[in-house]
Amino acid sequence: MQMIEMILSPLLALIIGIFFLGLSRKIMARIQWRYGPPITQPVIDVIRLFSQKSVSHGKLFNLGIIFSLAGSLVLVLFLPLAQICPLSGSGGMLVILYMMLLAPLGIALSGGESANPNTSIGISRKFILALGYEVPLLLILLALMTHYKTISIVHIVSIQQNTGWAFVSLPLLLSGIAYVLILPAILGIRPFEVVQASQEISSGPMAEYGGPFLALATIQHALSLFIGIALFVNLFLGGAGNLLIFFLKMLVVFVLVLFVNAALPRLRIEQAVKYLWRWPTLLAFIGMIIVLIVRR
Amino acid sequence: MDRNQLIKWLKAPAKMGHKYSLHAVYFCTGCGIIEVPPSITARWDAERFGVLPVATPRQANLFLITGYVSVKTLRAIIRTYEQMPEPKYSVGFGSCPINGGMYWDSYNTIKHLDKYIPIDGWIAGCMPRPEAIFVAVTHLWTLIDKDMADGYKRYRDHYQAYRANQEHALGKLEWPPLFSNETKS
Repeated sequence: MQMIEMILSPLLALIIGIFFLGLSRKIMARIQWRYGPPITQPVIDVIRLFSQKSVSHGKLFNLGIIFSLAGSLVLVLFLPLAQICPLSGSGGMLVILYMMLLAPLGIALSGGESANPNTSIGISRKFILALGYEVPLLLILLALMTHYKTISIVHIVSIQQNTGWAFVSLPLLLSGIAYVLILPAILGIRPFEVVQASQEISSGPMAEYGGPFLALATIQHALSLFIGIALFVNLFLGGAGNLLIFFLKMLVVFVLVLFVNAALPRLRIEQAVKYLWRWPTLLAFIGMIIVLIVRR
Repeated sequence: MDRNQLIKWLKAPAKMGHKYSLHAVYFCTGCGIIEVPPSITARWDAERFGVLPVATPRQANLFLITGYVSVKTLRAIIRTYEQMPEPKYSVGFGSCPINGGMYWDSYNTIKHLDKYIPIDGWIAGCMPRPEAIFVAVTHLWTLIDKDMADGYKRYRDHYQAYRANQEHALGKLEWPPLFSNETKS
């Protein structure tokens, strides 16, 4: 049973992630009053990219992108998707926090090998942005773990299904708002699209990827979209009893985030870090203090 | 548009992928680039055909040479074309790359671009309207379908001749040959 789940859960994540990529292009097009590509366009792109040949810049260039994809795939195993959670017994949120760094690290190793200046700028921006959102994220997770007295994400989901969503429960409200404020930074979309800014640094870490490398990077991007939203749904919207409701919750969150993406321009990297370390961190900090007071 | 015919996808997925995912490298060579923003944004929306501008040549497989080609730009065009992964398609946009256009007697402009890199199709006019880009894209689909968009193969087969023409126009080239001498045969 566990073996089936181990195959099923990354597969589901891939399908939903690629669907989200297509949906985002379609919805962005409709918002901009365009007809937009077909919803299968990312699949067409990936097929085209896999059929092309590309140059390689060295061993680490090949391995880094696989490392990053593997990191994302393993991370999916730790997230409960409705009832499916193959590695529920081990680690919990601490493991997820560590694994979240693997994907940018792989891209950084791989991009660094290509020695393109745009890639270097993109990688440094990626890590600075990660530094920006990890501080409020850690505070939020600390508040959650303190309030529910567990580090296991499966327990957090099951407690929420008995007592109601964390997002609408009073002591965790501020933490939830802080998480919503940093969600675009975790997903790397528009107000915080500093990493893959194609207009200023030629799509950053992706600048030297072509052919199969870009296909793997696209799949990794789809997975990271899935992970960012699934984590939010699990932690604050109470997970779900079955897959359909879980998917619907993810869809609602994703479409709302897309509206933010369509409405806001891109921040500069220092503006992004300034914002992330001011309002979300402040809210998360106050939220944690409230949780500590309520618990006493 | 046979994008939704599943049997064609199962028969030749790579060819269908090349047809319906044309990513154009975003490289302004001349005045023709002014027709590209309206064709990729809300008015004409090239993305519904799968045509999307990308920032680097590594990710692209369609190269629009928009407008006149000066000798200095030719250097960048050749480097960009050689960096694109195969199969790649290049389209000359406007009358200037075809035969010089209004710059036919200019001392510093390349008259016939297809002497230096292979071109799969031309869009004539000064300026062509954005609709002409879509006509070109649909023609390119037909060419890809019939295996006639073989510019990258011609470049590989006749690389010595192309390289000689490039050296004639630019003098000594500071990058090594893309294909070594053995592949000529």
